[in-house]
Amino acid sequence: MNALESSQFQSFAQKILNELKSDEELTLNFSGEKTLFSRFSNAKVRQVTNLEQAGIDFNFIKGNRTLSFSIPFQASELDFSLALKKLNQSREWIVTLPEDPYLVRPQHFGETKEENLPHLPHNDEMISMVLSEASHVDLAGVFSSGDIVRGTSNSKGQSHWFKTRNFYLDYSLYNEKQKAVKSLYAGSTFDSKELKRNIREAEFKLSLMNRESKKVPRGEYRVYLAPSAVSELMGTLSWGGVSMAAHQQGNGSLKDLWQQKKKLSPKFTLEEDFSLGLSPRFNEAGEVSPNRLPLIENGEFKNFLVSSRTANEYKLESNFASDWESMRSPVMHSGDLKRDDVLKELNTGLFISDLHYLNWSDRETARITGMTRYACFWIENGEIVAPILDLRFDESYYSIFGENLERVTDFKELNPSTGSYFQRDVGGSQTPGVLVSNFKFTL
Amino acid sequence: MKLKNLLDSLTDLKVEYLSLREVHTKSLSLSVRNEVFEGLGHNEDHGLMIEVMMNGQLAYGATNSFSPEAVRACALETIEAAIKASKFSLSKFSLEERPKTVGEYKSPGQISFDDFKPKTWSDLLMSLSANMKIHEHVISRSAALLVTEMQTHFVATNGSDIKQTIHRSAIQMSAVASSEKGSQRRSYGDDQSTQFGLDHFNKTHLEAQAKKIAEEALLLLNAEECPTETMDLLLAPDQLYLQIHESIGHPLELDRILGDERNYAGWSFVKPDDFGTLKYGSSLMNVTFDPTVVGQYASYFADDIGNKAKREFLIKDGVLLRGLGSLESQKRLGLPGVASQRATSWNRAPIDRMANVNLEPGNSSLEDMIKSVKRGIFMRTNRSWSIDDYRNKFQFGCEFAQLIEDGKLTKIVKNPNYRGITAPFWNQLKMVGDKSTFEIGGLSNCGKGEPNQVIFVGHASPVCLFSQIEVFGGGK
Repeated sequence: MNALESSQFQSFAQKILNELKSDEELTLNFSGEKTLFSRFSNAKVRQVTNLEQAGIDFNFIKGNRTLSFSIPFQASELDFSLALKKLNQSREWIVTLPEDPYLVRPQHFGETKEENLPHLPHNDEMISMVLSEASHVDLAGVFSSGDIVRGTSNSKGQSHWFKTRNFYLDYSLYNEKQKAVKSLYAGSTFDSKELKRNIREAEFKLSLMNRESKKVPRGEYRVYLAPSAVSELMGTLSWGGVSMAAHQQGNGSLKDLWQQKKKLSPKFTLEEDFSLGLSPRFNEAGEVSPNRLPLIENGEFKNFLVSSRTANEYKLESNFASDWESMRSPVMHSGDLKRDDVLKELNTGLFISDLHYLNWSDRETARITGMTRYACFWIENGEIVAPILDLRFDESYYSIFGENLERVTDFKELNPSTGSYFQRDVGGSQTPGVLVSNFKFTL
Repeated sequence: MKLKNLLDSLTDLKVEYLSLREVHTKSLSLSVRNEVFEGLGHNEDHGLMIEVMMNGQLAYGATNSFSPEAVRACALETIEAAIKASKFSLSKFSLEERPKTVGEYKSPGQISFDDFKPKTWSDLLMSLSANMKIHEHVISRSAALLVTEMQTHFVATNGSDIKQTIHRSAIQMSAVASSEKGSQRRSYGDDQSTQFGLDHFNKTHLEAQAKKIAEEALLLLNAEECPTETMDLLLAPDQLYLQIHESIGHPLELDRILGDERNYAGWSFVKPDDFGTLKYGSSLMNVTFDPTVVGQYASYFADDIGNKAKREFLIKDGVLLRGLGSLESQKRLGLPGVASQRATSWNRAPIDRMANVNLEPGNSSLEDMIKSVKRGIFMRTNRSWSIDDYRNKFQFGCEFAQLIEDGKLTKIVKNPNYRGITAPFWNQLKMVGDKSTFEIGGLSNCGKGEPNQVIFVGHASPVCLFSQIEVFGGGK
């Protein structure tokens, strides 16, 4: 089966598009993957799964009515007969449905084809190298590698195709006290030396966790949030933070910024930047987003993500966001704090490598709660004193990235998404670290 | 080709064990917002998971192609993966972890997708949206119908043959009121999915609920902020579902206790030695794993490796007895578990999961619980949740709350939140509501595992009273 070849999808798309009647329109949205997942615990294999899957979502329009359907895709004759059955069912149903005043009609946004398929060693080789390098440490995590595909085609003749081959080792190492550090080795070129360097660096960080943990009482502290912690915070902004629809419908969390009643720090700039190359620029409808879209610039509101449907409803201009108006390739701009100066500038406070399980505690005031996780340390006079017992924070974006944002690092880290609900994600973020004063810990 | 025939076509392969799990899912969704029909989706997914045991190592291969050639190729690839992985096995398994089970299950609700009439349901959703239109400040009025049919057929070389057909349905609504004072959301049904059919929905009841959530959103808009103080906390079932889920269900998963989930979902404060001894909560606390409740969201006959499911006490009279763990985890830990090795769908390997995890009713009436409180708060409907990776320090927010003063419900307050630590919190359980306060719910979005999996779980609970909990409101 070669369901992940563009020719298979294009040929299927043409065949089903040929079935359309003159007053019908159709958009096809393809996704697929061939992936190996190998799960580790104690640097041994817990489960291994080889997966090949593909599917197509269809958006069907007749007159001013719309509906959607989806099928699995296996590059056989069965696909067409199932799609035709669904199309005929849709024809029967659509005429009974109310009209949709905000429907988004397919357009011709051009044709693109992007394939990045570098050579990777055989999966067994890569797994053996990982387990060999980690044979003397307690490693837990997942190794994943393979091809990911996204594609789209519509009745206006538009066609886009994105296929990428990559891998990631998303892991954490544990000491005897069960304190842990987190790391990620990911990319499209597997280099055994780089793998070794990555694991050795994590081991070094783990050695710092051997000191007795310090219980820090709740209160306000000066903190350094490492790039991965900042990435978590940016991720939560995708949950109603930068969506225009969420704000129009009363569910947004940066309303005061949008309405220009509040500003964030001039040191804070956030944009969608597809030049990261982790995510296709086209969305579910095949609309191609701008390569860069400033969202918040020097602390001031510039744009929220606006899908074409939101644009139709609220009479705005679309920036071709995804249906959910979530960020696909967020980049926070760097500042001037040098890596070597981070602890010195923090002086006394908390070094926080990772955050966990974030959620809004009050959207109205952009307040968010969550936990510290992994390698977090108590720092005194610019020196690491001890790892900390995990703390819960409850703090507003207006404080973290506003009045209390002191410095932003001059380096950024790339955080490719390792999410795999339903299918392996594309996308990711790039974030610097930040120095923040009076950060509130509540438990 | 029928699944049994596909299995027969693989009998020449030399394996210790091989199973085929076919999952065919159909779903329908309709949604309306502000009396505008937003769309109908009818989706279908169909695929096959092959599980192989070689040298005691389990490996999985997933494909959505059912041709004998594709299935054979997938099986061969899976066998090879199992052999190679067996050099690095974390644990070795045997046929003892793969019992022979034969049986069938059908959920009480049966929904015919072929006879589905979209107009009937779009009309209902339009009406629900219109029922929320009671004031210009109610700016967002949403209603949605979600229907799923999941057919699973499981066959294995040990003779197992299990067919399960599960229909699920839910109607969800939300009303957002917004003014210069801010925005407040009230919802209905996000946690009330069941295995009942479409005839389970009562239009009159739903319309009344639609109006009620709009009214409550407006009341919240003008309400005072929830106070910050330590007080008695009365929780409704639609908040307790999440409290049970996060602070009982997840920490009792044996794979978390074993450390398999350390890198993603986290592990647990519960240690293997705690079973049989840990005073998890007050003596009023009784929690069951019960996949036999008729119509509850995660009821089933057997889990996804063919282990027959039955009701078990996890916590009895406050003492921890049993974890949520598969036969594999039970073997690794030497502890009892339950039939809960479940997968999201055909494309994921089964892992330790919750199914229906329920807090059993007690003896107190709602009136008696309220009367007993000098100063406290009654919170309803979850809106925010967060807990640490050991499942200790939690914080929850609710949509709606009312103060309790001198034994009476008084002021409505907005943005209610509370926080605590799992075992001390459950040990502060002071009164447990009787059957009249008991409600059954279901959640669709339980995330866990590497690769990630999201699965449906059921929870049921009476109203419960906790003494002296940290409560606080919103604002900067």
